[in-house]
Amino acid sequence: MDASYLDLLMAQQEEVTEEATGGGGIWVVADVVDGAVAPVTLEALGAARTLADSLGAYVYSVLLGDSVADGSTPLTTGLAQTLYQAGADGVRVANHPALARFALEPYLEVLAALFEEEQPEVVIFGATAQGQELAPRLAQRMDGGLIEHVVATSLDEATRTVVVTFPVYSGEYFEIAACPEARPQFLTIEPGTFSAPFLDPYRKGEPATLDFEPVEPAVHVVGAADDFEPPPVPLAQATVIVAAGRQAGDFELVQQLAAALGGQVAGDRGARDAGWIGPEQIVDVRGVTVAPQVYVAVGIRGDTFHNAAVEEAKFIAAIHPDPDAPIFQVADLCLEADPAEVLPALLKALT
Amino acid sequence: MRIVVILGQVLDPSGIVIKRRAGRIFVNREEYVLQPADRCALEAALRIKNAALAGLRPSQGVEVVALPRGPLPDDDVLRQALATGADRAVYLTGEGFDGADDAAMARVLAVAVERLGGADLVITGATTFDTGQGQLGPRLAETLGWPQIVGAWQVEAADGRVRVVRQEGSGYVVVNADLPVVITVLPGALKPRYPDGARLINVYRAEDAVEKWDVSDLVSDLVDEAALQPLLEKRGQDFPPERERGVRLSGTPEEMAQALADTLRQRLGRRPATARER
Repeated sequence: MDASYLDLLMAQQEEVTEEATGGGGIWVVADVVDGAVAPVTLEALGAARTLADSLGAYVYSVLLGDSVADGSTPLTTGLAQTLYQAGADGVRVANHPALARFALEPYLEVLAALFEEEQPEVVIFGATAQGQELAPRLAQRMDGGLIEHVVATSLDEATRTVVVTFPVYSGEYFEIAACPEARPQFLTIEPGTFSAPFLDPYRKGEPATLDFEPVEPAVHVVGAADDFEPPPVPLAQATVIVAAGRQAGDFELVQQLAAALGGQVAGDRGARDAGWIGPEQIVDVRGVTVAPQVYVAVGIRGDTFHNAAVEEAKFIAAIHPDPDAPIFQVADLCLEADPAEVLPALLKALT
Repeated sequence: MRIVVILGQVLDPSGIVIKRRAGRIFVNREEYVLQPADRCALEAALRIKNAALAGLRPSQGVEVVALPRGPLPDDDVLRQALATGADRAVYLTGEGFDGADDAAMARVLAVAVERLGGADLVITGATTFDTGQGQLGPRLAETLGWPQIVGAWQVEAADGRVRVVRQEGSGYVVVNADLPVVITVLPGALKPRYPDGARLINVYRAEDAVEKWDVSDLVSDLVDEAALQPLLEKRGQDFPPERERGVRLSGTPEEMAQALADTLRQRLGRRPATARER
């Protein structure tokens, strides 16, 4: 077999490749956090891979940043290879000091120029600060549909439409929607809902570098807002609550648990009687009715008034030594144990 | 200075019951309230207005104009905005406007802002309470060709500049931008004021307190009607699985603690088991 024949074969194969792209492929815009590819980007690549395999399309990823800034490996060999390993067939890299940290205008212009040329079918962002600023602007510029905070995708193969699921009333139920005609279809995916793909060390590639003239950002960061404290969230609207009861044992540990979970401290009437909490922190239908994502009841026996006040909680874990404690009738996860024994182990397991 | 505030309404969740097993939403009390994030946006605008008034610079008077975030069945939220302190409110109505989604709304609002005689600042909510979508603000910024600041905690505006506190990573930063700019405010960022009682009565008594604009007028001006077609299509609803209560853990306290820690970590790693896992 002579070399010219091989060349011909390769050329033919490349032609086939071009045809197989169908549309402009599925694109994932990478998020970089602390010099590494963000987990949500890997999850997005996993989701993109699944869609691309059913559609017969390629997965591409765009990486914007500055290799000089973090001083380590150039983007093309370091981060870009991670994107290949996670499932990208092609990677485009935009490397410039102006892109060292996310700023809307420079990022937007690079992506807009790229997508104008490539005409993607689907563009996936992570639902991060960067994705939430970029996705709607690109969608508006390119007349594409956008659905944010997607938690699941499926495919309408006849029309090559991605059908997505997104939460309504923060996950009370889910809405299913699609963008049947307008292209590209933009999505931002919720971090932590798609499984991260296996990083295949044998997948490698040569990323293409984009040429562009950076534009000036319009919004300038002046500095840290040191004196700013976000307003306190009322107990009724807290997302995580750790509540203590008479059997909680050491209240210090309850406070530590709340801090470890990023939640607020509360209690039942017993905790108020013990002097651990104030009257405004009593979870009770006569006090505060709560609806957190996670409610941990530590040593709360759970009378009718308390249990009715936590009914709306999405997930309740209860720790109480008495197996007949009424709290176990409303809890999703029951630990029949002395909080004094569980809490130290729990704090250790969480850190 | 003219500040445009974009307000929407949402079905009050305390009036609805979601039955997962039946796969249905039962509306017991159909009551609409102002979107919480938009309420904070209105508060931000009114604070800028008050700050300008306190500065006693009449040449720098601030006019706050309320516009709807989408097609509204009635103008209640706009009347409430007037009672809370907005100077002007415009209700948008018209044929073929009922289905307008955020992409179309951004175009309509951009024309409406033009019709008002321009604006220096557009403030709206960063996310809707029901569907959690935050695309209207950035889409409008793109249509207007303005910069944007997304997810503001605090907004101050003076001398042609805005100063905004927003989250970056785990901390907060102060950012600056020249006017005009589109800002979206997070829900719960500011403590919103209540409507003034007497004004509320007057606003509802005066038929013409809220101006009424026909969208077809606006559209023929600058956008063609095809641009109002919704891009998205609803394909149904999905309900998370019924809760299984009372799952008892067994083992030593250490093992139980470990199992609980794993569950908590999974739960707090954003969203719990969803429809996807069924």
